[in-house]
Amino acid sequence: MSSQKFTERKFGDYYKGNDVSICVPTSIEKREFGFLLFERGMLRHITFKAKEALESFLRATTCSDVYHSCSYYESPEAEMDRKGWLGADLIFDIDADHIPTSCERVHDGWICGNCSFSGKGIAPKKCPVCGSEKFNIGTWPCEVCLDSAKTETAKLLDLLMRDFGFSEKEVRVFFSGHRGYHVHVENEAIKTLAAVARREMVDYVSGLGLDVFFHGLNEKNWRVMRAYQDIRLDDLGWRKRIALGMQNFILSANEQDLRNIGLRKSIVEAILRNKDAILKSLLETGTWGVIRGVGFETWRKIAEHGVKLQSAKIDTVVTTDIHRLIRLTGTLHGKTGFKKVEFPVLAVDDFDPFKSAVAFKGGTATVFVSDAPEFRLGDEMFGPYRSQKVELPTAAAVLLICKRRAEVLE
Amino acid sequence: MQSVFSKFAKNDYAKYPFLKEAAKYLKIPDLKIEDLATPELEDILKRAEERVEEAILYTRVSRKLEKADNEISSYPVAIILAAATKSSFIQKRYALAEAKQTFEDLKNEKDKPKEKILTFAQDFGWKLALNKDSEITYEFALNFTDYLRNTTHLRGKKWKLVNRLLSDGNVYLTRTETARLLSEEVRKHIEKRVEVKELPRFPPKIIETAEKIKELSAEKIGKAEMEGFPKTVVQAAFPPCIEALYQAVSSGRHLSHVGRFTLTSFLTNIGMSPDNVIELFRTFSDFNERMTRYQVEHIAGERGSRTRYIPPRCETLQTHGVCVNPDELCQKIRHPLTYYRKKVKVAK
Ligand code: SF4
Ligand SMILES: [Zn+2]
Ligand SMILES: [Zn+2]
Repeated sequence: MSSQKFTERKFGDYYKGNDVSICVPTSIEKREFGFLLFERGMLRHITFKAKEALESFLRATTCSDVYHSCSYYESPEAEMDRKGWLGADLIFDIDADHIPTSCERVHDGWICGNCSFSGKGIAPKKCPVCGSEKFNIGTWPCEVCLDSAKTETAKLLDLLMRDFGFSEKEVRVFFSGHRGYHVHVENEAIKTLAAVARREMVDYVSGLGLDVFFHGLNEKNWRVMRAYQDIRLDDLGWRKRIALGMQNFILSANEQDLRNIGLRKSIVEAILRNKDAILKSLLETGTWGVIRGVGFETWRKIAEHGVKLQSAKIDTVVTTDIHRLIRLTGTLHGKTGFKKVEFPVLAVDDFDPFKSAVAFKGGTATVFVSDAPEFRLGDEMFGPYRSQKVELPTAAAVLLICKRRAEVLE
Repeated sequence: MQSVFSKFAKNDYAKYPFLKEAAKYLKIPDLKIEDLATPELEDILKRAEERVEEAILYTRVSRKLEKADNEISSYPVAIILAAATKSSFIQKRYALAEAKQTFEDLKNEKDKPKEKILTFAQDFGWKLALNKDSEITYEFALNFTDYLRNTTHLRGKKWKLVNRLLSDGNVYLTRTETARLLSEEVRKHIEKRVEVKELPRFPPKIIETAEKIKELSAEKIGKAEMEGFPKTVVQAAFPPCIEALYQAVSSGRHLSHVGRFTLTSFLTNIGMSPDNVIELFRTFSDFNERMTRYQVEHIAGERGSRTRYIPPRCETLQTHGVCVNPDELCQKIRHPLTYYRKKVKVAK
């Protein structure tokens, strides 16, 4: 049996079995559905009147990935320009691919699309052997990468709930099944917001176009008060976030960190020498600028760095695309065999994707692994493997096959 | 508890006749087009004509509160007149003039100004409230969706959501800012009403008046401008890179040096006047009119060496990261201006 067949059979078993729990979107009849049929192309513009119809479709058709529109349409089955857009949920996508981590070098790999030469880490600009610029990139759903995606998700959730005022009921958070998290907001007022308005929301959460001038950090205030009382820890919105970012940065920054944001050596020394005084003044009176010789430009740079630290690194394209298809909750990800799963907003810190998203329980398979980093599923550790035959639980075998790191053996 | 909303009197509706509630003061509740020719309505028609003319001449519409009934009734008739001119310039101008007037009036309300603004906003379905947090130095709190619906097309960094105080779903605003956004709503509302697609048959009297208004506008404004923005510029034919730069500038985002140069040289080459390009850059808080004018005119070839600069080639734009989302047509060209020329032909 080929690896491909093996995965298809396992995916099929999952949708026919009792463990499957699909969570359909609200107003299912107004949504468009799309299906990837492993290597056999894609089905689009499909509609279902009810959950049962969708479930029996999934039992009858083997799909590698299942999507639905974030939009609501009058005629979801029609061609794109005839669908009649009624509105869309607000979607955020946080993907480790958009967040630089140090472990990428360890677990990611690339293969030249032309000559098949391969290497570790981030792909070079040109293949060193043949000079081609096309590569197949192999990423990995790694714990460290996913953790940094989770940190960004937590920042996003805080922004959505505190600043935008969405309630716990309106905001839903999911593990995507691969290298990131999705956040959905369902709310009547949001539904009909145009793409440009969503773009403004994206800019808000990612701090794009933020000018500290408008948050009180400007030369006029500086001259008058010698302080930035507007940017305070007990303030609201970005003012509070900037203050928090500045505080955290000053608290943890070493000489190099401060130099990296473009500060002169003498200023860096002054800040480091007076760290405690700065933090104390911030906490007690909420004022910056208590240190002689550290002036406006320096504080502006620190504040701008604070913005970077506090902003949520999201994939900005997803949110503004109001015709996007998103993965259906409870279905499998074709690149891992993990489920897309929802978890409570308040449990974001404790959520363990490598436990909750495992779809295949029981059974084993023998595979030949070409190359795989060490990984964990539930409480069990696996790998690293290199050119070897191993017997693995189904979930681990499917993961390696989907990531093209292993082939199934008879 | 005393209501925070103020009850509007007839005079208020004469000032703000586009409010839904104003309808109850209309002399003839559902006016038919034919009625407009009747002698009893002569005064109203006269005042309606004046409204549109004032808009053309001064971009303002005076308020005649002594004759409140006539004043209120003349507004829907002015809408009909503006529609009958079939000139989108006059229609937009009328909407803008009413909006500007509203901004002034709302800003300068003497009697219970806050309550009036609240009532006004409520009529348009806004979720606007008085700020009750004494720590915050703003007078109003507006739900962010209402805020976004009325600001995304406004130039200027200060309107960007990320530069506002936003907490618990509310954007905090001063009274002047609130009045500004409400006047935007008025402009949109009137623009929608005058832009009727299918016009009814107007009685001769109306057609006559509309012609008169058109003549006045041609005299005052001049033909060129009446036809709107330089019609040679076809935004739909911008290549992806230029469209992205254009969007970025319009929403107040900063451009790199190469980005600025590319956009400016592109726009001046396809026939946009330096003045209009300068207007586009006005959104930056670091906007320095003299400096920008100098640069733009230099690139447009109106200064210095007198050579008009052309934008860089695709290859150069690619290395500078200005080339984004190239499409099919991009495969066939090497220069953004070629892209534009090809696409304009198709678009026309
Ligand atoms: S290929 Fe040329 S025209 Fe097309 S987007 Fe890139 S730079 Fe612009
Ligand atoms: Zn190669
Ligand atoms: Zn990693």
